[in-house]
Amino acid sequence: MNFDQARFSRDDEYEPLLSEKDSTTVEVDSEGVLPDDLTRDELTLPALSEPQLARHYTRLSQMNYSVELGPYPLGSCTMKYNPSFTEDVAADPNAGVHPDRSDRTIQGTLGLLHGLQEYLADIGGMDAVTLQPPAGAAGEFTGILVAKAYHESRGDDRSEIIIPSSAHGTNFASAAMAGYDVVELPSDDDGRVDMEALDAAVSEETAALMLTNPNTLGLFERDIVDIAGLVHDAGGLLYYDGANLNALLGRARPGDMGFDIMHYNVHKTFATPHGGGGPGAGPVGVVDELAEFLPSPMVRETAAGYEQYEPESSIGKVHGFAGNWLVLVKAYAYIARLGDAGLADASAKAVLNANYLASQIALDVPYGPFHHEFAATSGDRDAADVAKRMLDYGVHPPTTKWPELVSQAMLTEPTEVEDKASLDDLAHAFNAAYADSDEALETAPSKTSARRIDQVSAARNPRLSWRALGDDE
Amino acid sequence: MLDAVGVDSTEDLFDIPEAVRFDGEFGVAGADERELRDAMADLFSRNEELTEFLGRGHHAHYVPALVDDLSRRSEFLTSYTQYQPEIAQGFLQVLFEYQSMLVELTGLPVANCSMYDAATALAEAALLANRLRRGASGHRVLVPEHLHEGRLGVLENYLDGAEMEIGEYPMADGAVDVEALADLVDDETAMVYAETPTVRGVIEERLADIGDLAHDNDALFCLGSDLVALALLEEPASVGADVVVGEAGALGLGTAYGMGLGIFATREEYLRQVPGRLVGASEDKADMRAFTLTLQTREQHIRKERATSNICTNQAWVALRTAMHMAWLGPDRLVDLATQAVTDASDLAARLDELSGVKAPLYDRHHFREFVVRTDQPAPAITNDLAGRGFAVHALDDHHLQVCITDANADAADGLVAAFEEVI
Amino acid sequence: MFEIPDDRKYLESHEWATTEGDAVRIGISDFAQDELGDVVFVELPAEGDELAAGEEFGVVESIKAVSDLYAPISGTVTAVNEELFDAPELLNDDPYGDGWMLEAEPADESEFDDLLSPEEYREQTE
Repeated sequence: MNFDQARFSRDDEYEPLLSEKDSTTVEVDSEGVLPDDLTRDELTLPALSEPQLARHYTRLSQMNYSVELGPYPLGSCTMKYNPSFTEDVAADPNAGVHPDRSDRTIQGTLGLLHGLQEYLADIGGMDAVTLQPPAGAAGEFTGILVAKAYHESRGDDRSEIIIPSSAHGTNFASAAMAGYDVVELPSDDDGRVDMEALDAAVSEETAALMLTNPNTLGLFERDIVDIAGLVHDAGGLLYYDGANLNALLGRARPGDMGFDIMHYNVHKTFATPHGGGGPGAGPVGVVDELAEFLPSPMVRETAAGYEQYEPESSIGKVHGFAGNWLVLVKAYAYIARLGDAGLADASAKAVLNANYLASQIALDVPYGPFHHEFAATSGDRDAADVAKRMLDYGVHPPTTKWPELVSQAMLTEPTEVEDKASLDDLAHAFNAAYADSDEALETAPSKTSARRIDQVSAARNPRLSWRALGDDE
Repeated sequence: MLDAVGVDSTEDLFDIPEAVRFDGEFGVAGADERELRDAMADLFSRNEELTEFLGRGHHAHYVPALVDDLSRRSEFLTSYTQYQPEIAQGFLQVLFEYQSMLVELTGLPVANCSMYDAATALAEAALLANRLRRGASGHRVLVPEHLHEGRLGVLENYLDGAEMEIGEYPMADGAVDVEALADLVDDETAMVYAETPTVRGVIEERLADIGDLAHDNDALFCLGSDLVALALLEEPASVGADVVVGEAGALGLGTAYGMGLGIFATREEYLRQVPGRLVGASEDKADMRAFTLTLQTREQHIRKERATSNICTNQAWVALRTAMHMAWLGPDRLVDLATQAVTDASDLAARLDELSGVKAPLYDRHHFREFVVRTDQPAPAITNDLAGRGFAVHALDDHHLQVCITDANADAADGLVAAFEEVI
Repeated sequence: MFEIPDDRKYLESHEWATTEGDAVRIGISDFAQDELGDVVFVELPAEGDELAAGEEFGVVESIKAVSDLYAPISGTVTAVNEELFDAPELLNDDPYGDGWMLEAEPADESEFDDLLSPEEYREQTE
């Protein structure tokens, strides 16, 4: 496949900023409805016509790569296709209600929330689910707060959370935000949790162990039952990071493995669109014993219909209202559409696709057996440079240089949506870039809208607004 | 493909121990697209259609068709975080433009490209204040009485891990009781938070005094507002705000059951302590100006437990919609929208005030979009009766309601007044 | 390989220290600047601040990493290289010369002897 990304440019910039197309200053005098000292003097913003704006944003969209353009195999991101119909469902005019409506007047909204709570509980093997956290990291923070509340309710003062060194950065940050000390756990030679190290790390200070399973190398933690036993025997809780749930749908559930708390990334596993970085949602599931601590409100079904309620020992709020409603609608729609068979099929295809892709690329994959994602290594070539060159072949490259366990890692997750032809294209991109000359790698990318961008200049001299650019001149 | 991998069946690729295998069903039937669309339309139709005069932290203005049309382009909607900026100039530029608009509205030079919502933005501001003090005494955040319960709840949870505490200062006739606040601010205070408009719709009149109080005690002054209000009210930088937080979802989202977009803007000197993603300008190898995520060493994927925040996925697509909406309005119409929020609220309050047993607005203040109403008759019963007539308003307690009016519901104002007349 | 001048002492954490008259001058090694990559920002204490041996006194930031800086000795900061704020690249270009970070009046002269010799540091970086 040949690829040339759109590039609109003039002089030394690509598409001009809105402010470069127009800058209008209006005097703000509010016609006397407010005293002068309560209003600003003036406001300067671009004033453009609708056709001008349509062109501006349409051109910008053409200088933006997406899942609907081609493969996007970012490891642990699960960039799967976002079904069109979910957008229409979310736009239903009856769905847009205010959160302060009384329960009996929003039975549709509450019905969906209740339904999604149940779906996720069943899928994860959990007993109760909150939909409130507005992202995966927020889910982690919520789950840790639930663990904290649980321990405090038993008069148990624990200060540590154990996290594998291969874990996603948010795990560490979330634990720290909740006030815990992080104990980092090394991997064993096979890339999984080192049981000896875990045994040494677990103590009566352990509030929880956070795990991703399969882990960030795509490997299933075979010792999970023993791991659960170790942690539980010490009085700690087991937390599941749901980023890699796409590997397990229909074949294994975190609840059955001994996990007490889990978060789901609906923008990964349940196909809600990534939207250039968000919004997503990070619902949290817990076992029965922990349900009383979940955030408020939850939704339950009674003889009289659906109603909101506050869990008995709720930790309170993790979002101003009820979370990212529009995202939750899309997740519900996806699950309802696929059903048991569709979800299990998605996992199967995801795992097969990853294995097939790995078999077609020239790069080594040091750790296996992996599932829906694998960490290839670019060996003595810089992974970031190889990735930049892959862009020229019309694909988005994998995640690079993480996890650190693999040197020059290229963490790759094709997801179930690719077919053999597109996987072959992707493999071709890997292999061509990997075999390209040093010069080709250093000057890459060249077929994209912009050439390689200077990160050092951006950080040394931060220019974060058009006002700052104006000041620079 | 199975041949290439060397297995007979995909099931052979799963390395899951027997002990934890799941052979059951979730009990989700699955459906074809058409069935499901019908089923979901039916589900949502169970919501009663009421004309909402509701606000209190979640507001809706009319969102133009252009926003839906352009934001739903799959190049924007189905793209990811711009970790490869060379192919993502489009989204990066829109986020840069969004940040720029916030800079114009707040007067502060650093704005990130989103937080989840106003509540979490406030919490992150408090954590920033804590990081800046680093060891110096003072771990108290002062917040107004009547702070929205969602914002207070989130703040409590975020501060718990940082060993900070929350103190509340009183309001007087709906606005900050500055003298009482003065008694409470001391060297234990890390941050003073005030809002304009408040959750009850009151426009604060002594922002500069509040800012001075905070600064005299080495505390941060954090101001909460929203995008439309910022277009009309005093520029935050001019009243000494160090951080501006609040809700930007009133533009670009419409009513969305509380889903939002958090604003976070601050001073240059706090740049390296800012949470969330920042888009900056740079140059590419062709010497062209290009945009990129920058200062990522603050973030979780590099700094792990030392990160300024755990935020990763944010509200980027909502910020894109909001930027489009602001561009569509332009400064003139944005200021008009804000002005309308003042006049509509004032007019509606005056009309309700004429009813017997009703005082509106409760506070003798200027209001933005919404106001509190005192009723002799029990407020909950009034809201029920109004709902029966197709209108939704807030019941704050036994004798207080809150009513919010925007361009989205203004043409139903006559109907609301008539319904009130019947009910009272 | 990496430059390790013989005229100064080192810390395991890659800081160097050398005497400048009564004061001790502190910076980071060639190995450290190479590990970091292009430095974009440095955070240093102010004149008059106290340093405690082995405790962190600042931060150095590149595109891909943030590293704490550890004090080789205890003392009071007497000078800070303000050039680094506008030109952090000095740390990459000349870590032992113009890229010096700060000077401090030592509280306990003997601490200087506890630092690693150039040979000991060289062994450690190999």
